[in-house]
Amino acid sequence: MNNKLDFLQELGNIGASHATTALSQMLQDTKLELTVPKARMLSFAEAANFIASREEIVVCIYTRMIDMIKGDMAFIMPFSCAVTLANHLTGDDREQLNEIGESALLEVGNIMLGSYITALSLLSDTKIKPTVPGIVIDMNGAIWQSILAGAGVTEAVTILDTKFSTAELELSGHLIFIPDNAVFEALYQKVSSCWKPEETL
Amino acid sequence: MAKTVLITDDTAFMRMTLRNVIQKNGFHVIGEAADGEEAVSKYKELQPDLVTMDITMPKMDGITAIKEIIKYDANAKIIVCSAMGQKPMVIEALNAGARDFLVKPFDAQRVIEALHKASS
Repeated sequence: MNNKLDFLQELGNIGASHATTALSQMLQDTKLELTVPKARMLSFAEAANFIASREEIVVCIYTRMIDMIKGDMAFIMPFSCAVTLANHLTGDDREQLNEIGESALLEVGNIMLGSYITALSLLSDTKIKPTVPGIVIDMNGAIWQSILAGAGVTEAVTILDTKFSTAELELSGHLIFIPDNAVFEALYQKVSSCWKPEETL
Repeated sequence: MAKTVLITDDTAFMRMTLRNVIQKNGFHVIGEAADGEEAVSKYKELQPDLVTMDITMPKMDGITAIKEIIKYDANAKIIVCSAMGQKPMVIEALNAGARDFLVKPFDAQRVIEALHKASS
């Protein structure tokens, strides 16, 4: 189990490094720092309680991986952070999101998720086909419920928390990766044959 | 006369960003498409000199749209702009007939260079 978490941690680190570069470019050279805390693997019951505040309004950008490698991936950030980020990208000064603001957030999420998917593709040497990303604004609890329900037969939820900050903006968010369990086993076996955790320390 | 460009991306923000970059650098944006299906139909209608193409889009994805456009016009000049930088996807797009592949978020200069290179 520890090796599996190490493997996911490595995936998270590679994905985060891609995402940092991507987001930094989108924020137009604002100095951006992004940290990836240790990957956590939780049961569905634990995941449901992972939410700090079920009532908090959040913005979620999600995609589903279909084809060879299956799973769900979502990027969730508090509504206030999402508005700050949208204003920064569109040059607006709004308290609510408008259509172009939502579109900008969808693109940021798309690029963040794309960075992780590219890292996963690189590690597994497999082409990954994601669905068209979607954006939803709702209560944290409702979003989690639909993510977990949409994940179908998956038994474990892997959470890679991302927290990023800039000198000008205070932003935070969660990147959630839920690999299909059977596929994850196969992927881990494939990658672990040529990857030793201690070599990456 | 300025070369004409058809922008294809399912997010309005990215279409707006690309439009700003392209228009400021001597090209003329002749149209926008929000999915692959619309890109194919607008290509036939507007006959642009160049096309920017996203990959992951509703209705018809970018790879299928590239194949459809190339089937109609073997000399179509298509540049992919996608958040998915997976090697197999890049190869598939180039094999389908794309001239270049840019991974988002792209540098404005890189977009213009790719457009100039494809149109020369």
